Amino acid sequence: MLFGRRWLLIILALAFAWTVTRLGTNIVNLSETADPWSTTSRFFTAAFSPSFTDENTTLPVGVTPFLERVGHDLLRTFRYALIAMSMAIPIGLIFGLLASELALPTNRLRPLFNIFRWSIRMLLSLVRAIHELIWALLFLAAVGDSPITACLALGLPAAAILGKVYSELIDEQNRSAQQIIRSSGGSATQSFLGGILPAALPDMVSYTLYRFECSLRASAVLGFIGIETIGLGISRSFENLYYGEVWTQLYILIALVVLVEAIGNLIRKRLRDGRPRTSQPDQITETQLRKTRPKNSLVRSLGLAGFVAIIAAWNLGDVLLKPAVFESQRSDRLSRFFAHLTPDPVAPKNPVPTWDERTAAWEAGSDQLLPWVTDLWNDPGQEALANTIAMSLAAIILAGSAAIILIPWGARTLASTKPLGLAMHGGKIRTLIGAAVRSLFILTRAVPEYLYAFLLIGILGPSAWPLVLALALHNLGILGRLWGEVIENSPPSEPRQILTLGGSRFQTFLGALVPMSLNRFLLFFFYRWESCVREATVLGMLGVSSLGYYISLRQAFLQYDQILFFALLGAAAVIAGDILSDVLRKKLRS
Amino acid sequence: MSLITVKDATLRYGVTSALSGVSLSLNPGEKIALIGPSGSGKTTLLRLLGLQEKPTSGNVVTLGCDLAGNCATSIRETRSKIGMLPQDLGLVANLRVIQNIILGRSGTRNFLRTCRDLLFPSKTDRDEIFATLERLDIAEKIYDRTDSLSGGQRQRVALARTLFQHAEILLADEPLSAVDPARGRDVLKLLTALCDDAGLTLIVSLHQVELAREFFPRIIGLKEGQIAFDGTPTDDEISDLYSS
Repeated sequence: MLFGRRWLLIILALAFAWTVTRLGTNIVNLSETADPWSTTSRFFTAAFSPSFTDENTTLPVGVTPFLERVGHDLLRTFRYALIAMSMAIPIGLIFGLLASELALPTNRLRPLFNIFRWSIRMLLSLVRAIHELIWALLFLAAVGDSPITACLALGLPAAAILGKVYSELIDEQNRSAQQIIRSSGGSATQSFLGGILPAALPDMVSYTLYRFECSLRASAVLGFIGIETIGLGISRSFENLYYGEVWTQLYILIALVVLVEAIGNLIRKRLRDGRPRTSQPDQITETQLRKTRPKNSLVRSLGLAGFVAIIAAWNLGDVLLKPAVFESQRSDRLSRFFAHLTPDPVAPKNPVPTWDERTAAWEAGSDQLLPWVTDLWNDPGQEALANTIAMSLAAIILAGSAAIILIPWGARTLASTKPLGLAMHGGKIRTLIGAAVRSLFILTRAVPEYLYAFLLIGILGPSAWPLVLALALHNLGILGRLWGEVIENSPPSEPRQILTLGGSRFQTFLGALVPMSLNRFLLFFFYRWESCVREATVLGMLGVSSLGYYISLRQAFLQYDQILFFALLGAAAVIAGDILSDVLRKKLRS
Repeated sequence: MSLITVKDATLRYGVTSALSGVSLSLNPGEKIALIGPSGSGKTTLLRLLGLQEKPTSGNVVTLGCDLAGNCATSIRETRSKIGMLPQDLGLVANLRVIQNIILGRSGTRNFLRTCRDLLFPSKTDRDEIFATLERLDIAEKIYDRTDSLSGGQRQRVALARTLFQHAEILLADEPLSAVDPARGRDVLKLLTALCDDAGLTLIVSLHQVELAREFFPRIIGLKEGQIAFDGTPTDDEISDLYSS
């Protein structure tokens, strides 16, 4: 191992100290007249009295009632996520295959194909490193505010991440069955279909369902840049101080995300364990055995329902691409967008340039390109990037610290009357606390980071810490679940020894379960840190100087070339984080 | 005419020589055991005989086909007549037994037919697989998930896959590695009986010398990638084989 675990903890403590010096210590940043505690108390009091009608009493007659509006927003949120996933899955599958080792030939062309494979992997990393919100900004400019903008913005990064995960899942499978099919004369495609795909499918379906959950949350967040999803309703209600409405919409969003997660968990379990035979045939014949074979009816029905929902999502509701008055308008818009996307020194003056004008502009300004990049890097790129990294680090360290404190109270194996299978005196209160902690994890991860950040900035004022807290809250829910599962899946015999010697649950956790699971804890910790870097990039769009702040600022001036620069800078940070987390995870595995 | 001919075959992985100068001739219906210490080249020789590896020098002709001189179609056709029973059995754990068995015939079917086989197997295939499993005493497991079966039952499923394949040669790599000593004899009894019934040529790599002597009239001893003896070995030849 590169360094000891103790050193890793010291480095994390030092990193947190650096983030505090970088981000300052002002958590509340409101004007002197503002009273944050009154706002906070009004906001949280409203949680107990959510609104079911419009809080605005001056609305004209005939306006769509509040709950109906929320219903439409929710359906749109769901529809965009569904369409995005229906595009992402086939694209992810194709790119997943191209990026997998399985696609490499065994002949002398292998090195050439390997270069192609790594190019695909790099492309996938780049596409997924750019956040859905940034994709949405770019597609808004290129395509306009049609629903397809939201679907593309959600679908593109989802396709890239599915491609990466599918390729890894395909490569991880045991090759023995595939080799058997090859050795009995089967073709490469047959051996993939029969030997690899069925084995990888449960994990692929499971991850796709998780990604759908993420797309649903991201779809809600797109509301914050004006796309009509539930996020738009939440932001409008919050800005108008209709906190009861905010909570109603939050509860509905949480319920939807939790429902999707619960269905996903059920499917995952069914796919992993299969179904036991419930009825025995009267006699052992092929027909009788086939009739009584165990069937996964639930998975099949849900799969069919998903398919029908996708067809409905594509065909019902608002038209996906609003028709342009003139066809030329659409091509002009695209042309203008690409002109805006071209770095300023080499951009043609004509907003709808010809090819010759583009070439002339490139020749005239290409020597200014490097100084343009350097200037942007010096001010404000460098500082924005450092702030982004500091925010992501502070958030993941806070989330990790809170999760490690809560896990012994929440993990099912400890929070029970029979911890680790050992009968103990009492423990009913522990069971209740366990259920409460696990519910807290579910609730915190059901709300997207951006939504937390929006609400916290509204309450605490614009500074980096509300964003850090938002990231930390969401990741607390995710780490709580992932780490909880690690504890629950640990072999119980060794930690049980501490309990049998009279130790407490907490001593068992610290003395046996943590040392046994530390590597896996750190694996998930770094995996989530990488996601935090991606989220911190866009959270700045709420007015704090991370990369997202400059992206939203430049959007107001239609400076898409600079938006692209900051987006790529953010993407570079995410890719660097990805590589670093990969290296650390490999070191920890060894 | 011999079924498999190996002429002065050598196989190297980098600088390591896995087999060197091996020559053999195997006739239809023969039952042969490959014995030798770990790393002596038993698995490599089985892979060469199964046309899964190309020798670095020399040549291997199985059922009239050799990897160097034949086109892909004819290699696939030949491979469809060679059944493999690897140590880990090569089954997909979360597929049903019938699906794992039906994949044995991939070599004689196209891609679309394989898709159909996995989703909606034909009545003829279902009946044939059921009859095969009946011979192996696990007919009632035909629609069960493979990972719900015991180790011994899974081995029978892998064997059923080879029988359904209608192979002419069965290459089994250490089929007793995961079987307790008491059941080893039963497994070999079953394997040899099935091969006798189906007229298969059987080549098995084994560590159990006594069982090899009991069930196989021809034993090939391998040591450091070379043939130490071929036939019915004496006690001295056996102890030489395992001496360092």
